[in-house]
Amino acid sequence: MSGGAAMPALLKRRGLVVVTGKGGVGKTTLAAALGRLYAAAGRKTMLLEVDPRQNLHHVLGVPPSEREVVGAGPRLWLQNLRPTDVLEDLVRSKLKVAALARRVTASPMFQHFAAGAPGFKEMALLGHALRMVRGDLKPAVDVVVLDAPATGHGAALLAAPQLVADVITKGPVGALAREVAEFVAARERCAVVIVTLAQEMPLQETLELLTVLRERSGRAPELVIANALVPPLPGGAAPAGADDALALWRARRADNQRQLSRLRDAWAGPLLEVPLLAADGPALPTAVAQLLERA
Amino acid sequence: MSRNPFEHPLLVVVGAGGVGKTTLAAALGAASAQAGADTLVMTFDPSARLKDALGVGETARDREVRVALTGGGRLDASLLDAAATFDRLVRRYAPDDAAAARIFGNRFYHHLAGSLAGILEYMAVERLFEVAEEGRYRRVILDTPPTRQALDFLEAPERIVNFLDSGALKVALKNWFDADGRLATRAGRVVSRGIEALLDRTVGLELLREMAEFFQAFGPLFGGFRSRALEVRALLKRRGTRFVLVTAPGEERTADTLYFARLLVERGHHLGPIILNQVHPAVARVPASGAWREGLALLAHFGARDHRAAAELAGLLRGESLVTLPLLPEPPADLAGLAALGRLAAARGYRTAAS
Repeated sequence: MSGGAAMPALLKRRGLVVVTGKGGVGKTTLAAALGRLYAAAGRKTMLLEVDPRQNLHHVLGVPPSEREVVGAGPRLWLQNLRPTDVLEDLVRSKLKVAALARRVTASPMFQHFAAGAPGFKEMALLGHALRMVRGDLKPAVDVVVLDAPATGHGAALLAAPQLVADVITKGPVGALAREVAEFVAARERCAVVIVTLAQEMPLQETLELLTVLRERSGRAPELVIANALVPPLPGGAAPAGADDALALWRARRADNQRQLSRLRDAWAGPLLEVPLLAADGPALPTAVAQLLERA
Repeated sequence: MSRNPFEHPLLVVVGAGGVGKTTLAAALGAASAQAGADTLVMTFDPSARLKDALGVGETARDREVRVALTGGGRLDASLLDAAATFDRLVRRYAPDDAAAARIFGNRFYHHLAGSLAGILEYMAVERLFEVAEEGRYRRVILDTPPTRQALDFLEAPERIVNFLDSGALKVALKNWFDADGRLATRAGRVVSRGIEALLDRTVGLELLREMAEFFQAFGPLFGGFRSRALEVRALLKRRGTRFVLVTAPGEERTADTLYFARLLVERGHHLGPIILNQVHPAVARVPASGAWREGLALLAHFGARDHRAAAELAGLLRGESLVTLPLLPEPPADLAGLAALGRLAAARGYRTAAS
C-alpha cells in the first residue's frame, strides 16, 4: 500500500466523509471500514446510507435501519434514509408553521418536484449530514461517513448544492443551498474518498469523476482507493488441475497492473491499494479496517 | 415445444451496474446476426474496449451503424443519446417551430433533459419504439442504463403518464404571473405585495416563474407525449418482448434478482432467462503449501461462493430459467469473441428451455 500520510490524515478528520464510486466496487465495505476506524479512534460516527436496498447493516452485522438510527458498536451508528424524507424534513425545518409544511409536502406539486427536480434530493441529503455534524440532529456526531448513492457520478452529488443555489438565489431554500455548497467546498470539513477497481470501466468512471470534480467543484479527492487487487503470481511451475482459475488470475493481475498505471498517469495524489480478501459479510469490513489502519 | 428464449423480436437486457449487461447485449446481438437474423444492438455507454470490439465509435451516437460481420445477417449498433431523443420528441409534438424554440431556450429544459428522474430510461424505450415501428430488423436488443434495481426503467413510461395526468400539471399550467411578471390570482388580480413577499421568502418567486414558463411552453405537447408513453408501455408488455435479467454472484444480489424477476412478471412483462454472469471457476484442489497456495485459496473462495450462489438462486426460482456464464479471464476483444459468448448464452438458454 502506498497511501503516504493520506490515511492517518483522513482518520484525524471531523465533519463529513463522502465515499463514492461506481456500483459494485466495494464502496459500502470501505465506508463501513472507515466508520469502524473513526469509532475506534474515539469519534462519535454516523454511517449514512441512501440506498433502498440497505446493504450497510448487512456488512456491519446489525438489524436494518429502516430510516431509524441503529447502534452498530461503541460510538458508531447507522442510518438509512429515503431522499424524499430528508427533503420533507428540510421543508418542515424551514417552514415554521407545521400545518403549512404538511400542506406543502403533501401536495402533488411537491411530490413530483421532489422526485424530479435536479439536485434537490442531493442537496437535502448533504444538508442532513451538515446538520448532523453541527449537532442540530440527534445523535450529535463528530464524523458522518456517507455511503454515496451509486447512480450517476459522485460529482453530481457534490455539485448539487451549488446547482440549487444558482437556480434559487433567495429565500430559506436558497440560503440553505448556499450554506451546504460552502460546507461541501470546504475541504477541511468535507472529505471525498473515491473507491475504484483496477478494471477498465470502473477506472474510466474514476478518471471522469476526477475531471468533473476538478472542473465543477474545483477540488480533488482526499484519497483514491484501488480495491480488490489480485496478488502477484509466484514464480516457478504452477500446480496442475486449476487451469481456469490460473488463467483468470493471470489476466486479472495483468489488467490490474495496466489500469493502475493508467490511474497513476492521471492522478498524482494519495492512492491506497487494497488487496482482494477472502472474506464475506461483516468479516470483510473488519479485515479491510485492519489493513487501512496499518496503511 | 420449446424455443430458444433469445429468439424473440425484442430483447430488453436489464440488471444492476457492473454485471456485464452491455457486453452481453452486444454478444447476444453478434450471435443473433451470425445465425442469420438482421439485428440491431442499442446500447448506452459501452466501454472503450466494447466499442472497439464492435468496431463502432462516436459515429454511432443516436444512429445505426453497420458492424462488419462475415456471413449471416446484418448487425447494426447504435449508442443511445437521451438528450437527442428528447429533442426529437419535442420537435415532433410541438405545434410549431416557435413553440419548440421556446422549450429549447428554457433553462429548466437543459437541466431536465439530462437529469429528470427516469428521463434517460424513458428515452431508451422511446427510441426502441421508434426502431420497432420502422421494422427494419428481425431482432432488436436493447441494453438499458444501469439502474439500481432497474425499476426506474420499467416505471419510466408509467411515471410520465402519471405526471401528465396529475393535478401537478394543472397547477403548473395555471397563469401564475401577469404580463408584468407579477404574481396574479385566477381572477387576474395582482396579489398583495405582502403575499408575494411571503412566497418569495419561502420558495423564491424566480423559481416559480421559471417553472411556470417551462410548463406553459410544454403544455401543447402533453397530449402527444401522453399517448406515445401509453404505446411505449404497451410495447414493453407484448409477447414478443422478452426481458433478459442479468445478475452476478454476490451476497446481496440474490434477493434483488428474485425481487426484480417477480416484479417483472407481476407487471405483465415477459421474463426471458435470468443470466447469472461472471461466475468464478471452481478450484478442484488447493495445494497444502508452497508459493501458489495463498492465491489459489483466494480464487477457490470465490469459486465456491459463486457456485453456492448459483445453486441457491436456482433453488429459489419458480419456473424461470437460469443461464450461468463464467467470469472470463478477458472480456471479448472482438466480434468473434462477442459472438462466441452470445452462442454460449444461447446454447445454455436453449438447453434450459428444453429441459
